[in-house]
Amino acid sequence: MTRYIVRRLLWGALLLVLVSALTFVLFRVLPTGDPARLRAGRSASPKVIAAIRVDLGLNRSLPEQFWLYMKGIFLHFNLGYSYYSSASVRSLIADRLPATISLTLGAAAIWLAAGLAVGIVSAVRRRSKLDRAAMGTALVLISAPEYWLGLIALYLFATDIGRLRILPGAGSYVGLTSDPGKWLTSLILPWLVLAATNAAVYARLIRGSLIEVMGEDYIRTARAKGLSERRVVLRHGLRSAINPVMTILGLDIGVLLGGAVLVETVFEIPGIGRLNYDAITHSDFPIVQGTVLVAALFIIVANIVVDVAYAYMDPRVRVS
Amino acid sequence: MSGATAKAARMAPRGAVALRAPALNRGAPAILAAVALALVMSACGSSSSSPSPSALVKSISVSGIKTPQTESLTAGKRGGTLTVLDHEDFEHIDPGEAYFTTDYEVMYATQRPLYSYKPNSFATPSPDMASGPPEVSADGKTITVHIRHGVHFSPPVNREVTSADVAYAIERGANKNVGNAYFENYFGSLVGAEKANGGPFPGITTPDRYTIVFHLSKPEAQVVVDALALPLSAPVPEEFAKQYDAKSPTEYGNYQVATGPYMFKSNGEGKVLGIGYEPGKSATLVRNPNWTPATDFRPAYLNEIDIKIGGDTNVIGRQVLEGSDLVQNDPVANTIVQLAYEHFRSQLQVSPGAGDHYIAVNNKQGPFANIDVRKAFWAALDRTAIGKARGGELVTNVMTHFLLPEIPGFEEAGGLTGPKVDYNEHPEGDLAIAEKYMRLAGYPNGKYTGAKTLQVVGSTGAPSSEVAEIANNTLRSLGFKTKLSLVDQSVMYSKYCGVPAEEIDVCPNVGWGADFADGQAVLDLTFSGKSILPSANNNWGQVDDPAINVAIEKAQLINGQQARAKAWAAIDRELVADAAAIPADWDKEAAIESKDVAGVGDLWNVGAWDYSFTSLK
Repeated sequence: MTRYIVRRLLWGALLLVLVSALTFVLFRVLPTGDPARLRAGRSASPKVIAAIRVDLGLNRSLPEQFWLYMKGIFLHFNLGYSYYSSASVRSLIADRLPATISLTLGAAAIWLAAGLAVGIVSAVRRRSKLDRAAMGTALVLISAPEYWLGLIALYLFATDIGRLRILPGAGSYVGLTSDPGKWLTSLILPWLVLAATNAAVYARLIRGSLIEVMGEDYIRTARAKGLSERRVVLRHGLRSAINPVMTILGLDIGVLLGGAVLVETVFEIPGIGRLNYDAITHSDFPIVQGTVLVAALFIIVANIVVDVAYAYMDPRVRVS
Repeated sequence: MSGATAKAARMAPRGAVALRAPALNRGAPAILAAVALALVMSACGSSSSSPSPSALVKSISVSGIKTPQTESLTAGKRGGTLTVLDHEDFEHIDPGEAYFTTDYEVMYATQRPLYSYKPNSFATPSPDMASGPPEVSADGKTITVHIRHGVHFSPPVNREVTSADVAYAIERGANKNVGNAYFENYFGSLVGAEKANGGPFPGITTPDRYTIVFHLSKPEAQVVVDALALPLSAPVPEEFAKQYDAKSPTEYGNYQVATGPYMFKSNGEGKVLGIGYEPGKSATLVRNPNWTPATDFRPAYLNEIDIKIGGDTNVIGRQVLEGSDLVQNDPVANTIVQLAYEHFRSQLQVSPGAGDHYIAVNNKQGPFANIDVRKAFWAALDRTAIGKARGGELVTNVMTHFLLPEIPGFEEAGGLTGPKVDYNEHPEGDLAIAEKYMRLAGYPNGKYTGAKTLQVVGSTGAPSSEVAEIANNTLRSLGFKTKLSLVDQSVMYSKYCGVPAEEIDVCPNVGWGADFADGQAVLDLTFSGKSILPSANNNWGQVDDPAINVAIEKAQLINGQQARAKAWAAIDRELVADAAAIPADWDKEAAIESKDVAGVGDLWNVGAWDYSFTSLK
């Protein structure tokens, strides 16, 4: 098992190097804009731009720039400085991470709980009215764009602009450490909106998977042994049916930790997604580069966690 | 001499720089060099060239809508905290770097340049850090400014401001770590400016603690005088800032001191970053304890300004319109402007003077090197459709020539209706006239029959992309084959439209906003052949007409607003006769406030709410 984990970690590290190289190509080589010109600001003179080009090392050869870039990232975790605020990208990301983690983990707990509950009930009561209603609702939620759902939630429930005015709306987010109560209430609407689509996807996934598993021989055997239906479903059926859900959960959490752009923007939550969105809007490439790397890191880590969990649950994975 | 973006980036992204700053005129003669000064000031009261407020109000012509000219500057109530919901972050909060409308909103509340504008004034900046109008020598090559006594820096510097602080502030504009965007354009005529690197140079001297003198190598006093109303002239204490200016890029913005009525909340060392300013999240302005009302014309009614950054513009708009003590101080979503117009009209302000958008066509090579092809494109283009795409008549006017409505000379150049030439007379587009010009250009059936495929590069995101499509379809209706590419706005300028070597034929999304009310600030960098640069070029169409170049050079040296207005109006008419570019729209800017806010918009800063004059009801 240890060998397997080490192997996965090495692959993850290699992947991270490749992603770093890719971001270098994207932002330095392909035509995404001249970093010196962007750093210099609008209408800067060629003289100023030339001076900044030297400062940023853009006058060096591409291999040399690449080496300095990679060295900066991997030896010093130096992601550069914002073109506009001159703030360190590393500190900006560190500052935004708690909000994104709060949003993602809270929403994940909701969508996993809701998806599991609805999926199991729908699978067990297949083709019942309840199943049809649940799957119909799931289809609607999957089709609803997050941005639209966020706006509707605010226009209905936000205390400042909603019709029912029961929950804090956009701009109400505060950090967990500064006021846990406000932190909790400010995240309820964003959690629900972010969880809605995912819960629907998970419910459909679990339903399909569980229906398939419930037709297996060992389930029939379990029933023949006289186990209660509840025990058969939860202990024997769900344990197998949940494997594909684990895979997708790991990836979803990894992706969202890289930033839930739309929800963070609509609810004015200062997370990684909004940092990235604002940076793209202003072509603040050091920040875009930094957030892309952080997103890649989360996805790679999530993948490794899922792989290791698989291996733990199913020894055949380790062997293969 | 100025540039685009700024607030006009609100309604649609645009090119180069930020804002405008009306020409610096003064109302009373100075003691020294009275003759020269009189020349500079001569047109202050001229109604023929300078648009009066009523003319500007008329130009936006939407009944019942407030404008910055209609706001009271003195009736505010003291106290309270204003909350600002901004979708966009600042670009820079260092007076040496700031060159963007959102930046200016805090700059002019926290810093005091030598001159600045009262909110309802377009043409007459008031002495701010200066104690009176500038004195210009008879040969137009020396400018003397006296500064006020008794103005102090905020903590931790605390000491009185001297002329050396103003000198250092302007000198640091040449420091590559500061990278001021307009130092070279506006202060380039100072003696020794070409070799300046952030330290003292011969063009700026301080004979005593309260006097600063600018020595010019050529008689371009007007432009330097105009530029003294930009944030670069706000004093900076060298002993405090130098350590931060040594870093690349400078960190002075993150550790700064103020001279205005407000300052960024900071710690005992003047550190702002993470305390009074959290990039992308928030900013807090509090009263500057060392500010003395007796030295300033700003009333500074508010106790505190809390700026929340980020969020969706639709949500922010509703929060402001339905909430309390709130304003939005960056681009308002078109849907919210419409909502405010229909249901919250008293909470809506529309300001004229938000720049323009036009279509740059390659005058140097390709089909548009032919003047008749350019006229054909102009005639065929539906400019009313472009206006609708940008939000309709509430926030745009059909553009008919190149000076902006707030710029002296606008009326002489044709006013809103523009010059009487057939290709300009049908804003909705006239294919028959267009075909006439195509025939004159050598295409007998009125359609382009050449082999060239036009390279059209526009900007992504509505409404720019819609405008680009309108332009592209117009070109196709004239028989052109086109390749339309939409890229990020910054890429459009820095990689394509601003790089002549790329040989782009049409840039449908370029635009401009003037730094001050002078034709030079609108037409020089954008249409002078001498302004064409291999990169960072703002003469996007590579217009290089010898007659226009000569006229521009002569106009640059003219003193006196009326004479300058006449000269730049003549250049504008030449540009129209040349069809040097295809005009699209003149922009206005909407701003919204909560019902209990007495907002005062800053006309000079595209109508942005002025924190030093706004109050709570």
